[in-house]
Amino acid sequence: MSVQAIPKASTAASEPAADWDALAARARGVRRTKAVVLYAFLIAVSLPIILPYFWLVTIAFSARSGVAETAVLWRSMAVVVPAVVAFWLTAALAQSRRQLWIGIATVAAIAVFAFAVLVGPDLHVGNFIFLWEPDFASVVRSRIGEVKGAVQFPNVWHAFGNSILIAGAQTAIVVTVASLAAYYLSRFQFPGRSSMLRSLLVLHAFPVLTLIVPMFLMLYWIGLLDTLSGVILVLVAFELPFAIFIMKGFYDAVPWDIEMSALTDGASRRQAFVSVVLPQVRNGILAIAVFTFIRGWEEYIFVFTFLIRNSNWTMSLYMYWVRDDVMGVDYGVVSAVGVFYLVPSLILYMAAQRYLMQMSIGGVKG
Amino acid sequence: MAKIEFRNVVKRFGAIEVIPEMNLVIEDGEFVALLGPSGCGKSTSLFMLAGIYLPSGGELLFDGHVVNEVEARDRNVGIVFQSYALYPHMSVRDNILFPLRFKKTPRDEAFARVKAAADLVRVAELLERRPSELSGGQQQRVALARALVKEPQLLLLDEPLSNLDASLRLSMRTEIKSLHEQLGVTTVLVTHDQIEATTMADRIICMRAGRIEQVGTPDDLYLRPSSLFVAGFIGSPPINLIAGEAEAGTVTVNGARFPLEGGASGSVTVGLRPEHLRFGETGFAGRIAQIEPMGREILYVVETGMGAVRVLEQGSSAGHSTGEQVMIGFLPENSLVFETARQKLIAGAHVRAPE
Repeated sequence: MSVQAIPKASTAASEPAADWDALAARARGVRRTKAVVLYAFLIAVSLPIILPYFWLVTIAFSARSGVAETAVLWRSMAVVVPAVVAFWLTAALAQSRRQLWIGIATVAAIAVFAFAVLVGPDLHVGNFIFLWEPDFASVVRSRIGEVKGAVQFPNVWHAFGNSILIAGAQTAIVVTVASLAAYYLSRFQFPGRSSMLRSLLVLHAFPVLTLIVPMFLMLYWIGLLDTLSGVILVLVAFELPFAIFIMKGFYDAVPWDIEMSALTDGASRRQAFVSVVLPQVRNGILAIAVFTFIRGWEEYIFVFTFLIRNSNWTMSLYMYWVRDDVMGVDYGVVSAVGVFYLVPSLILYMAAQRYLMQMSIGGVKG
Repeated sequence: MAKIEFRNVVKRFGAIEVIPEMNLVIEDGEFVALLGPSGCGKSTSLFMLAGIYLPSGGELLFDGHVVNEVEARDRNVGIVFQSYALYPHMSVRDNILFPLRFKKTPRDEAFARVKAAADLVRVAELLERRPSELSGGQQQRVALARALVKEPQLLLLDEPLSNLDASLRLSMRTEIKSLHEQLGVTTVLVTHDQIEATTMADRIICMRAGRIEQVGTPDDLYLRPSSLFVAGFIGSPPINLIAGEAEAGTVTVNGARFPLEGGASGSVTVGLRPEHLRFGETGFAGRIAQIEPMGREILYVVETGMGAVRVLEQGSSAGHSTGEQVMIGFLPENSLVFETARQKLIAGAHVRAPE
């Protein structure tokens, strides 16, 4: 391979001709190594994330009272670990989208079949007894002959309803207040606006646990201790700053022109807000709604501190007491309650995933 | 249709006075352009007309009635924004229908008017689409339809062509002008582009730093600019401005002597438009430094004793090359003489090319 001498580049002429094939081979080698390292890393991090959830579900559907059996877990792991590795290998080796889908479908089919053979015979829904038997604690204990001392559990659907009520009411208030407040912060100039924005962030930085004693006293004096509305108010107060901040970012991204155009088109300020501005920030509203709802759904500290009567239990408290009462006896029931507790937030996340992804885009401008 | 009047209108934002004092009458059915560089207060004036900004002082009149405090929605003004400001979550039909929603127009009539407006700007086949699915030119038309559907008494256009590509700009220019002729609605165009202003408007209001520099027809501004600023702003390629001293019927510029007609003395600036300069046997001497072919015409940059001078020649009379020595002549009536200190045109003063 000859190199033509270019008058200006004197160094190029003096050096030996470059070996293009060797350079290409080296680049290929580097690319391969990088890919191998990347996929090894992906396999290594995805396993510890997937396994606990998988085991939770497996235990919920397979554990039996009084039997400490871990063989089924090892068998299920023998299905999942190769499946995860096979999934990433397929992703790494697939040459086209079509191959990728065929590969994933094959891996999934084999995994499902193996699961049905190895784990299938052990599956049952007996652990979900709490869904239809309010006094399940006594039933579970009686299986191993120890009946006395069981906690009186409320109906699980009652706790479920309380959780929905807390999360739903909190979401409704936060969404309403945040979308109005953020609009004002985004569009209007008023004294103390920038310091207010700064304090919003500081408020969010506050560890909420530090306030739990004063909050307890406050609720006690107001008379809202051991009421759902008291907890709702506290949760709203802690969630609002962040929600307002996120919403402000979304409003900032809506151009003034559109609003001015609506005003000259005959809309009042309020009509312009409702019919032109709000639809533009719909994704932001959905995002804060989902986050606030899930925050309320998984709330534990405040409900544990501020709610006392068992008719006021939420799912997290129910879960806590189930663990407290039957864990040593039957961890299958505990896992089943966990699965039951998990399902609504999982459904919500999956339904709203598209909008949550956009929050990071709209929100960073804040 | 409305006659618009600014009477001593002032606009301040906090301590900043954007428009010190504005007096202007726009006749019923007129097409005027507010022309000026960015930050000269032309958009502020437009938003005051629309009712989005309230004047800080003075009176704004529509047909003789003070409208200072009338809300934007009650002014019946159509506006087309630079960004078009279409409502992205609505179909084109709903966009055009939007102004009628608040007027409680009966449904059938509203749909008929949307159809008519869409036909007028030729977007009838796009009614079901979303704004994001339209090209820039189509969005522009939809914005026009939305502004026109409410049969406004005043149509405001805020830099309507600046986001379009060159050829589309040309056709939209013609289209907007013919729309105005067809509908006869009083129209105010805001632009920083002198070509847009001179091609579309009946009258141009040239603004600078919140003040009206000159009001006149495109010809007035081109042929008789009242100040150096207007002379420099109107015309492309820009006018040649040559500073000199006037004394006893002669303007002396760096040794070259231009015979002066009309009275002027002291420091003056001579304005010569590139398209009025001709290469010939007489005039002032120079050397061609650069040649810029512009299609039909060729722009020559000529180094002379008084600095670089731009000369625009018809392409057919080409045949000059870089480095060539040339003589530049012009007709006296095409020359402009400004008083340098006040930056104002000296009426009736002209210079002749040196013999």
